[in-house]
Amino acid sequence: MSALAEVTRAVEDYNRFVEEQVGRARTDGQFREQMLNRWRAGCAGVGIVTTPTGLKLPRLALPQTDEPGEIARYLFGEGLPGEFPFMNAAYRQMYLQVAGVAAGPNRKSPIGNVESEEPTRLFAGLGVAEDTNQRFHYLTRQQRSIRLSTAFDGPTLYGLDSDTDGVFGKIGEGGVAIDMVEDMERLYAGFPLGDEHFSVSMTINGPAPIILAMYVAAAKRRFGPEIVSKLRGTVQGDILKEVQAQNEIIFPIEASLRFLTDMVEFTTTHMPRWYPISISGYHIAEAGATPVQQAAYTLANGFTYAELFRERGLEVNRFGPRLSFFLDCGLDIEYLALARVCRKLWAVGMRDVFGANAPAQLFKLHTQTSGRSLIAQEFKGNLTRTAVELMLAYINATNSCHSNSADEPFTTPSEEYVRLAAQAQAVLLEETGLFQFMMNTLGGSPGMKIVEQTVEEGVLSEFRAIDRLGGVLAAIEHRYQRSQIQAAAHRYEQQINNGVRRIIGLNRYRDAADTRPALSVVRTPRRQKRLQIDRLEKFKRNHRAEAGRALEALAQTVESGGNVFAELVRTVEHCSLGQITARLHELVGHYRPAI
Amino acid sequence: MKTTTARRQGGSAPRSRAGIHPPPARKRHQASGSPVRILTAVPICDGHDSAINTINLELIHHGIEVIYLGYHRSARDIARAAIQEDARAIGISSYNGGHVEFFGEVIEFLKKNGAGDIGVFGGGGGTITPADARLLAKKGVDRIFSAGTRLAEIVEFVKTRYGAPGIPTASRTTILTDRRLAKLLTVAELNVRGSRFEVRGSAKPSRVVGITGPGGAGKTTLIDELAMRFLRSDPKARVAILSHDPSLAGQGALLGDRATMIYSQDDRVFMRSLATRGQAGGLSPATKRCLQVLKPSGFDLVLVETVGIGQEAMPFGRELINQTVLVMSPDYGSRLQLQKIVMLQEADVVVVNKSDLAGAKTAAAEIEQYLVLNHRGQKLISTVAKRHRDPGVDELFRWLGS
Repeated sequence: MSALAEVTRAVEDYNRFVEEQVGRARTDGQFREQMLNRWRAGCAGVGIVTTPTGLKLPRLALPQTDEPGEIARYLFGEGLPGEFPFMNAAYRQMYLQVAGVAAGPNRKSPIGNVESEEPTRLFAGLGVAEDTNQRFHYLTRQQRSIRLSTAFDGPTLYGLDSDTDGVFGKIGEGGVAIDMVEDMERLYAGFPLGDEHFSVSMTINGPAPIILAMYVAAAKRRFGPEIVSKLRGTVQGDILKEVQAQNEIIFPIEASLRFLTDMVEFTTTHMPRWYPISISGYHIAEAGATPVQQAAYTLANGFTYAELFRERGLEVNRFGPRLSFFLDCGLDIEYLALARVCRKLWAVGMRDVFGANAPAQLFKLHTQTSGRSLIAQEFKGNLTRTAVELMLAYINATNSCHSNSADEPFTTPSEEYVRLAAQAQAVLLEETGLFQFMMNTLGGSPGMKIVEQTVEEGVLSEFRAIDRLGGVLAAIEHRYQRSQIQAAAHRYEQQINNGVRRIIGLNRYRDAADTRPALSVVRTPRRQKRLQIDRLEKFKRNHRAEAGRALEALAQTVESGGNVFAELVRTVEHCSLGQITARLHELVGHYRPAI
Repeated sequence: MKTTTARRQGGSAPRSRAGIHPPPARKRHQASGSPVRILTAVPICDGHDSAINTINLELIHHGIEVIYLGYHRSARDIARAAIQEDARAIGISSYNGGHVEFFGEVIEFLKKNGAGDIGVFGGGGGTITPADARLLAKKGVDRIFSAGTRLAEIVEFVKTRYGAPGIPTASRTTILTDRRLAKLLTVAELNVRGSRFEVRGSAKPSRVVGITGPGGAGKTTLIDELAMRFLRSDPKARVAILSHDPSLAGQGALLGDRATMIYSQDDRVFMRSLATRGQAGGLSPATKRCLQVLKPSGFDLVLVETVGIGQEAMPFGRELINQTVLVMSPDYGSRLQLQKIVMLQEADVVVVNKSDLAGAKTAAAEIEQYLVLNHRGQKLISTVAKRHRDPGVDELFRWLGS
């Protein structure tokens, strides 16, 4: 039985268990008392907060019920925030304003006093390393904590050097050009890499181990070897979703998974604060998947990774807490509860199939608002779309969030719209009263419960379909996920065309005139592209003597089955990204594209 | 993946003297009723294939034959493929920036190879600004579709702009470039009345290997791996691939074999994709004529891939094919009984691909027994074509060369 079949059964079993507890709470006197006591204690322990208007509110919003069955359904079926199965939230407290809060009657409240983390992530990447570095400094000048999220240009994403024939136009477009370890030093220059209020996220997959190795090497150059254990951040590294949707995979699947596992093994041992993989539904959804498909394929991929890491001999309670997730949030109604369902299914699967403890059961989520939902026509309407999506994401208790810039459909985001997008989050969290006073203010509406159940059924039915094909990897061979996503994408386009799906400003209330402004588009100037190539050539010249030896050491590690990531940290000292991928291609081949 | 050796020679077709007898220009021919053929692709360092997949589907449902080259393809690969396929136009879907340079490069390559008449159009959602679009128009791009374009508008454009029946002509130059060979193949495919298709070359006839088997058995992967071994074994070797994909009933076709190929995107490989255009059995009505053109054109090897088909009949006649390879996957058992597989009796080599799957050993043993009873000296080879440096594919390659 594939892990996915076991997970499906575990969820069904768990749902039955919840119903049994509901029945028991209604019929078994002793159990009822237990439930009621737990509930009263929970309610009483909640702190009180005073709003600026003088209103006194509990720190946590709980259903108003004293019916033991319903209490059991809540406690077991969705759980208090921070409690299994984590439907309401991964943690007890999120987004709550700490400053100026009136202390509750009980200082040892179950809600605790966890310092809330800034959930806003700032995504940037353009030109050469200094250009992005400047953007990072501009964006973070007023931030309490620094959370940088990095986009790479096309050649980097495909593991090619900037001097590769035919890629000149792509250098520094849509992301930053990184060819070598020096670029990585320049990219994060001036930032305190080992600081606990600093983290980076790198959106790269196919060559992820090489790029992370460059980051580690660059950090060591600046701060010495002891920095490694303090590095904090995320590298996307999600190979399975690349095969299913995003197409940025460069080595064959098996080799890619081996390099990934090597990286996970290394970081769980030596970089305890690092997230070596961000299991991503975002690109699956952007490629056209329905929200249910997004959730199902992402979770299924996650369980597949867990299986793989377990087979390598990694301990689930060590790697489990280092897995994180990345979902799209669009405007479809499923998004009212999608992340809530994901948290539950992940927790049940990890606990009951993989035997994970609480920290390893958490579906820690980064959300990005939907890029696909944005349009170029009357693009300022995108500000509204993104705001609604942000609200849905926070209702779903996302752990961090990125909001898209309104001008993204037609350009690399300009500073003006990047700032507006980040501000939207601050407005929602800090200006409105919706999130800063109470946990779970908007959770648990009747509509949300219905969406939860429907989405869960949909996800389980996708699990069954994948399992029937023999699991995630076998389903990939059958092109199952790809063809499902493509069919959904085609349906979506047809719906826009025939008006079933209404897009304001596009197929409804369309302004006859194209209101797109004359743009000052952010493009990388030719001289910057030349500069990148010149630097790369210089690097290659300077390291000519050592490069060959370094590549041979890498090749030996690949062939002998050693940990490739540990070796890469050394290889990147002398070799460029393209030199490394070229050698690895010789050893393991190329990924064969699927259509 | 890229070779530069053939650049100066203008493509993969070897220099050989070739003759063709095109009809007088005014004579009526059958081109007017044949589908429009265009090629679509996504540029290098770009994996955004969602839009192009949707557009491809829409186009083929409206009678257009789309040769899809896939994503992350260089300007050179795209131009080469369009020339070899004699496509009327190239549609490029670009979302990762650098489009001004990229479209320009494609057009340059086309012009340099005497194929400036192949149209170029494209789109990139909002990433291509109106100013870019104007710039691209100056460079010779026929049309840039902006975000929010209706699919129907794209279909209409392709049909009206590229649908006018052109007179297939083949120039009388004697250098057999990709461009010229492609034109000869178009004449052959359209069966232009009054034309004969032989190429009078000094080259000795190529060895032609026919590869068939059910869909999903891995034929295309196997061909790509064989082509790679062939190219590497001899720095001058040239390969031609004639591939087939099914036409939708009365409609267009998605010719997608090129999209999954890695090593065959090479100046020393000439590939042509044919739609079956209503013919059953895995080949096109034009296959034979196309082979008559390819065989004497000086290739060292010609590989013919059929549509993924049932196994009730052997699609190849013996006159033009030297060797036949049947590619199977080990899970045939649930679907077919060996006794019913006519091709097992006919094929020179039977390849059990995906032999890493459970049950592969049993399958190979069963087939082996069957072949022994045939007493025809047929060869059985187990492969895992998707595996890098697979020894089974090496063995097949050696056998084909022997």
